Amino acid sequence: MPLAVEAHQLVKRFSGRGGTVDAVRGVDLRVEEGEVFGFLGPNGAGKSTTVRMLTTLMTITSGTARVAGIDVSDEPDAARRGIGVALQEVGLDPRQTGRELLVLQARLFGSSASQAADRAQELLELVDLVDAADRRIKGYSGGMKRRLDLASALVHQPKVLFLDEPTTGLDPASRLTVWEEMRRINAQGTTVFLTTQYLEEADQLCSRLAIIDGGLIVREGTPVELKAELRRRRSLPQDPSLDDVFLDATGRTRERIAGQVQEVQG
Amino acid sequence: MTQYWVLGRRAIREVLRTPESLFPTVFIPIFFLVVNVGQAGRIFPAGATSFLKGQNYAAFQLPSALLLAASFGSAALYLVEDIEGGYFDKLRAAPVSRTAIVLGRLTAEAAKSVAISALIVLIALPFGISVASGILGFVLLLVLAAAWSVVYSGFVQLIALKSRSAAATQSGSLVFFPLLFLTPNFVPRDKLTHPMEIAATFNPVTYIMEALRSLILDDLDWTRIGRGFAVVAIAGVVMVALNVRAIRSYD
Repeated sequence: MPLAVEAHQLVKRFSGRGGTVDAVRGVDLRVEEGEVFGFLGPNGAGKSTTVRMLTTLMTITSGTARVAGIDVSDEPDAARRGIGVALQEVGLDPRQTGRELLVLQARLFGSSASQAADRAQELLELVDLVDAADRRIKGYSGGMKRRLDLASALVHQPKVLFLDEPTTGLDPASRLTVWEEMRRINAQGTTVFLTTQYLEEADQLCSRLAIIDGGLIVREGTPVELKAELRRRRSLPQDPSLDDVFLDATGRTRERIAGQVQEVQG
Repeated sequence: MTQYWVLGRRAIREVLRTPESLFPTVFIPIFFLVVNVGQAGRIFPAGATSFLKGQNYAAFQLPSALLLAASFGSAALYLVEDIEGGYFDKLRAAPVSRTAIVLGRLTAEAAKSVAISALIVLIALPFGISVASGILGFVLLLVLAAAWSVVYSGFVQLIALKSRSAAATQSGSLVFFPLLFLTPNFVPRDKLTHPMEIAATFNPVTYIMEALRSLILDDLDWTRIGRGFAVVAIAGVVMVALNVRAIRSYD
């Protein structure tokens, strides 16, 4: 199976007045075409930094990364044509209307004016924003902005869609809508690379996942495999949840997460 | 070219949808014009001051007002909003020419500057100011002011790209005031004190001001006009190149 995302010993080092920080310390990734791949990790683990390197938004200190078969450092523009990006912070211009934003985005990817208008209409229908299409974005709700952001990442029908915590801050209904969109997009053949802090989301959507902590991949596999491995290793009477896998992989305990003093470093 | 065009149109829409940001751009330069003329106009009476070439002191001060208006660009602040709101990353993640990202906004600044400069000149006409170089001179006046707005907005945009902070960008934009006061703002360069004359000679804004002033007070003086355009052309190329480099290395 061809690979949609392939990273080898990816490193990102930040240097500043306060010294040097290795945010990502040698990440290897292999995501097959058509997968919904979950990328999990606690805050500050290196998830967003990895996504920013894979999407050409950040330079790579060392290592290599290929997305849709293209080296992101050597041919960034070619890589960008195959990538759709919806980052943690919705990237929208509040002074434009939803339609204007989508048309502009389509034109930036090379569509003619009429193609861009058609594609914008198609996407507005897809994310159920036709009624709000000609209103300024600053008046949209959080869920509407998230759906529009998702639509803008799809204007050029990308091969790989990167979604960085796409449901953070959304109410349960909006979260379910985004999940449905994600499934629909994936069913059309787009590989989805999803970072999330919601383990239930990863369990529901991802065919395979990796957990990153301290800039390194600490677990990788299907949700079923990861649960079975933990059950075996800990001799548990039943399959653990993905929460348990996450806590085990990141050396955290429920007590620590809850802010209690009791702490076990795995 | 398409990318440049669509990004430029977006930046113009942005300006038109925030008309309140245009008010200080028009009001403050006119305020300075009125105050400066009120303070020094009687020192330099029209009939007895040779460097006024028969016009009143307001004509001499008009270039300062035009340069001030052209230096009140909002492109950099919109850019900081894009950076803070995440839209800048959306643009960077698209296969968009980095030059188009820079020039799109700067072109909108130029268009805004043409409109505001024309308005200021039109407001000044009933007060006895005329453009001695005629229609062509008026057009060159607008083009030169617009070109300066591109240079200065490029400079402030560079601060925005480096600092990613609205506060730093706004503070950086105030650099224009010392630059303006190191020009032959109140009298011609040869009437300045020696240290001020040296400072004005090294200040690129001096040559733009002298070109604008010559268009208002003289017939077409191609040497002065040429110097003004040469300065904005060189500074413009440098600013665009630095902006493009800053976006390319933006992490």
